[in-house]
Formats: sequence, C-alpha cells, structure tokens
Amino acid sequence: MLAALPARTARRPRYGGTLRVEIDAAIASLDPAVAASTPAESAAKSQIDGLIYDHREADGTFTDDPGSGPFAVTTFEPGKHATLAANNNFREGRPFVDSIEIMMGVSAHDRLLDLQLNKSDLAEIPPQDARSASERGLRISISQPDELLALVFSTTDSAASRNPRLREAVARSIDRAAIVNFILQKTGEPAGGLLPQWSSGTAFLFPTTADPARAKELSSQISPAIKLLLGYDSADPLEQSVAERIAVNAKEAGISMAAQALPKSAAANGHSNASALQHHFDARLTRWRMPSSDPAIALKDALLQISEGSEPTDTGANTGAPTELASPQDIYNRQRDALARFTIVPLVWLPRVYGLSAHVRDWKVPGPGEEWPLADVWLETGTAAGADKQP
Amino acid sequence: MRLPLRPLPTARAALFTVLFVVLLAASSHTTQAQTASALPKSWNDAVARLVDKIAAALSPGPVDLDVESISSLDASYVAAVGAALRHQLQAHSFSIASPNAAAKSAAQLQLTLSESAAEYVWVVQVNNGSADANLLPAMIVSVPKSDFTEAEPSEQSLTLAKQLVWAQPQKFLDFAVLQGSSPRQSLLLVLEATRLVTYQQSGAGWQLFHTAAIPPARIPSRDPEGTINVKDGKISVDGIECVGDPDLMGGLRCNAAKLNNRIETRVKISGLPNSLGTLVQGECRGEPISLYTAEGDWTQKDSIQGFLINLNSFSAATAGDAIQVNGPVIALGQEQDVSAARAIVHNLKSGNHEAYIVTATCSH
Repeated sequence: MLAALPARTARRPRYGGTLRVEIDAAIASLDPAVAASTPAESAAKSQIDGLIYDHREADGTFTDDPGSGPFAVTTFEPGKHATLAANNNFREGRPFVDSIEIMMGVSAHDRLLDLQLNKSDLAEIPPQDARSASERGLRISISQPDELLALVFSTTDSAASRNPRLREAVARSIDRAAIVNFILQKTGEPAGGLLPQWSSGTAFLFPTTADPARAKELSSQISPAIKLLLGYDSADPLEQSVAERIAVNAKEAGISMAAQALPKSAAANGHSNASALQHHFDARLTRWRMPSSDPAIALKDALLQISEGSEPTDTGANTGAPTELASPQDIYNRQRDALARFTIVPLVWLPRVYGLSAHVRDWKVPGPGEEWPLADVWLETGTAAGADKQP
Repeated sequence: MRLPLRPLPTARAALFTVLFVVLLAASSHTTQAQTASALPKSWNDAVARLVDKIAAALSPGPVDLDVESISSLDASYVAAVGAALRHQLQAHSFSIASPNAAAKSAAQLQLTLSESAAEYVWVVQVNNGSADANLLPAMIVSVPKSDFTEAEPSEQSLTLAKQLVWAQPQKFLDFAVLQGSSPRQSLLLVLEATRLVTYQQSGAGWQLFHTAAIPPARIPSRDPEGTINVKDGKISVDGIECVGDPDLMGGLRCNAAKLNNRIETRVKISGLPNSLGTLVQGECRGEPISLYTAEGDWTQKDSIQGFLINLNSFSAATAGDAIQVNGPVIALGQEQDVSAARAIVHNLKSGNHEAYIVTATCSH
C-alpha cells in the first residue's frame, strides 16, 4: 500500500506565464557593441544580454548569436520596453516562464508601487527602502552586501592631496553606524576595508567606528583651515544623504566641508575620480560593485576602479602590473596598504534588494558578477501573471 | 593548581602532589594531542603555519592567548583549534600564561576564527605592549571549507545519518551504489539527463569506468526527472526507458516509456504539503519509517526529517532529529533492501550536486 510516495510535488517547477520586470535604467540598444551612456544602463543591459546570449567571454563580450541564450528578444522599444520569449531549444533546457516583459525607466517609487499593486513580479529597489517595503508586506530578497559606497579623495592639485592629516581627520570623523542605522534603515553594514567580511573573512580587522576625538585633534593641527568640497551624484538620493551626513560629521570635528552635486557629466562617469577632479572637487562619493565573489579578483578590480585618479603609489593599482593575491594574508596586506593614506575611505556595504510578487518561485538572488537567474524562475500560477495583463 | 585535598602526612603528600601533577600534565598533554589529531590534517597544517608566522614576528617568551570565533564553527571545534594553537606555540618555546594570572610581560595574542565564502580564515593579532604594537600586521592563514565535514547528530530513537557518496558540478537525476564482493568491485551509477556514467571504486574515491549515452529528449527539459532501477536493469529519463545491454554497465537500448498506471498513495504530513518524501525499509516502534524534506524552494538550505507512519490513522509523526544539508534536496528515493534513502542535494555553497545515502537507524 505504501510502496511509493510521489516524487513530484508542488515544490517542483512549473512551466508557463509571463514574468513582469521593472528596471530603473532606460536601455537605448541591446547591441553589445553599442556603449551604454550611464553605469546603470550598462549594468541593466549586461543583465539582459546575459539572458539572450548563451555564453559570455571572460572579457564580457559575446561571440554567439542573440537568441542563443535562454530567451530571445521579440520586441524592443529603445528606452521603454522589451519582451523576451523563452528559447525552446536552449542548451540547458527551456526556461520555465514563457516570456519576460521588461519595463524600463521606472522610478524607484513606481517600482515599489507596482509591486504592491501586483503590476510587476520583479524589481530592484533601493536598499534604503528595503525596510519600509518589508513592513508594508512586500516580499523582498536581499543579496550579500556587495556594493561599496566609498569616499575617494582626489590626490592631485587639491587641498586634501597636500594634507594627509586632513584626509585622516575626515575619515576618523565619519559615523558609519549612523549612516547604516538612519539613512540605510539598517540595510547594509559599515565598511572599513575594500572587501566585505563574507567575501574576505578579514574585514573585521579594519575599524569602522568613528573616532571624533582623534579627528578633532588632527583637524586642530591644520592651519590655515581648509574648506573641502565633497561631490555626489545628483541622481542618487542615497549619495546625497550620505554626503550631507559626512559634512555634518566633519563639521563636528572642526573641518569645513560642503556637499555638492556633481555636474551630470562627472556623475555619469560612475566611479571615475578623474572626472570629478576636473570640476575642482576635493573628494567624491563613489559606488563600486564587486565583479566576483572571489576576494582576489574583486580586490584587483576595486583597486583599479575606485582609485582611478589617485597617485600610483597610493594603492599600487595603477602600476599596470597586476600583483598576485594568492592568500587571505596577501589580500589583507594589499587592502591595508591601499587604505593607509586615507585617499580611499570605505563607508558602507550595500546589498542588492529585489522586490518579488507572490507568484515568483526559485528566485535566487544573484551573487557578484552573476546574472539574473530568470531561466530558473517559475511562476506559482502559470496564468496569473502575464495573462492578467492581456487585453 | 590548589585542590581541597584531605591533609596527608608530609612525605605522602609530596608524593601524591608529584603524581597528581605528572598525571595532570600527562592528561592535559593527551587531551591536547588528541584534540589536535582530531582536527583535519589541513587544519593542523594551518595552525602550524600560523605559529611559524607568530614565531617570525615575536621572540619566544610568555604569551597570553585569547580565542574568539566569528565564524559558523561549532564551539567544540573553536576550542580544538585554540588548543592546537597553544600546543604548537609551546612546541616553539612560547609559554602560555595562565588565563587568570597572565604575566604582565606576556604578549597578548588574539586568535579570531573567521570565515570567507570559501574558507575558514584564522587571524592572530598581537599586542606586545609596545607603542608600535598596532603596527604589527595581523597574521592570517586559511583552510578550505571543503576540508571539513561536520559531525553527525547524536543518537536518538530514530537516528538519521548521511554519507556523501558523490559530488559533481553537473546536475544528475539519480544514482546507485552496487556493492561488489570486494570494495574494488563496487560500482557507482550516476544518471544524468543524457548519459549514464559508471564509476569504479578506487581507493577512497571513484574512477570513471564507462559512459552510455541516452537519446536526448526532443525538447530539452529544464527539470528532467529520472530513476535507476537496478533490480530490473532499467533506467528512465523523462519519457524514455532504457534497458541495459547486457546490463546497466554496458550499452543501453532505449524506447519511449509506457504509460505508468501505478496508483500512488500519498501520506499527508501536516504542514508539509510541498516536501519530498519516501518510505524506507524497516520499522521503528512497529511503524513504517519515512523521510521528508523541508518546505523551502530550491533557493534554500534543506533538511531531511524522519517520520513514523501510523497505519491506523494514516498520519505521520516526527521521530528523532532532522539532518541538515547545504541546499535543496532535489530528489529523494528509497534504497533497496536497507533502511536508507538516496538523496540528491544541490549544495548552494559549492554549487555541486551531491549524492547522499541517508540511513535511518532505530535504536532500542
């Protein structure tokens, strides 16, 4: 009578349905040869390209045909909308959903609203909104913290470049715990190193607590007083809040600092410090996302990307010869060297936060460098999502 | 160490004290040695490397060692690593200051057991009392997490134990271990969506022996299912049934499978509508034993829990402790003739697909 229990249960995936995705970026072209105009567009485009091409080369390019991946593009309206259809003949098996509808250029506010109204199934939401979204009953999925928000001082022809004490005073004045608790609503963690604890295992060796007494002592040794200009991306409300908070901390330590939005041309260059330099900023906030979970690969990228515009001797990153980072000891030593002169001041680690509708199953938040696993996602009720929207 | 011993005549007291100290020292040494030997070899090697770094940075002398863990390691392993480090420090002519009365001149060593995504990371920070103490960089060693297998839970009325048989990055659908008359004749069959791979026991591992292709499905499935039926010499994969020619270790003759008209009986487990389950051979407390997974989807860690089925009420009650696995159980099937099940787990940490034999033991 009890010879066998069924192997197939509701836990196994089901085929069918349309997954509705909303993104912030407006993608002008899916052609990998056409450059994106902003880092956000580049990141979103990379995710979609990862769905329509089978294999990404080590340098990020694709050599196979579009549509060789799990999905193929069926409609594309530049900057507005794209529809992808499941590829029945995909090498690794047909994706579970029949299609994906991607709405582009949707603001964070509208993405949250549409998730609440069940008008979308998947959308990335700002980390500072994660807590309130969760409290409002939204289903959220949070990655390991893999994006660093850092303050980077320009090291050429600025007050800060000539005064290491000033940089150290600013670094020691910053109350990272307040940034995490109040601005990020506890979604994130203070950063002291260039790699998060989960990746390196040694982040705890880099202090993250503020030392206002030492900051005051250092700033009192600087004469005459210097006024610093801190730049942030005007399109990024998180950067603005953090920049203003840093200016307050600096002022409490006796340092005059003003936070000011970067010109659009400089902000669009993402973490390029060189662009900010041209606009006479002493420092800017920058975001850097880990390209890999591997701490050695990630650190090399961090040193190259974040320290752009810094002196080569600061980090050793611009010497052109990549140094082997074989062990956790090497990785720790390299971070220690890079941070010793306070030209880069890690602030907070941010996770990626995704809002999900109740239908979405088997969504696994992608790790650093990984693509959205939309070929593995399935919908609990095959007709509930897309079919409801059909005219 | 002062103990509340009954007063003894002086000579006997001295003798007893000497014997006690010798025994205590021997006992302590044995315990440390046992603890160190209980660690995996790579862990002992890592501790030795850490001590080499300490010896390169500090002159031999008294040290005070404080151990802290911010890793997921169990407290017993934390203590074992700390003991191994003390033992090796002593072997390098460092003396360990008593925790209660650390010598003022002793260098303070802080051992922190941390971890990264792939490794256990052990860090020693030194404070030797000098002004430039914090200039000494932290000393760091690491060991791969794959070198470590957690101990199984202690015995219960129904005890489950898992044994890792096989792991590979590619997904597979079922597996079977065919025990030979000698270990070298044992075979492992691994059924993938498009082939049946046979491995032969070789030392502690398995060596590729034979591969037989299975015709691909017309439309490749993203969620193929398949089983190995060793008794009948058959395999089935998503609507295709193959018979071994002459047996499963040889070639395969494949045809479209006949419709399965078998009536299956579902045992309802209250609160577990979506879990995978299977019966296993044998009984406990006179009731059949079944194993069920937890309820999460394929993005979550999983567990396998034993249940005893009451045939009168056709209901099931948990028995013993669940065993934890590092990812979803993708398939769970009954083993023939033994009180065990085959489980295929997608390890979310390593990305590997792992084959386990989960044995259910009923202790009386």
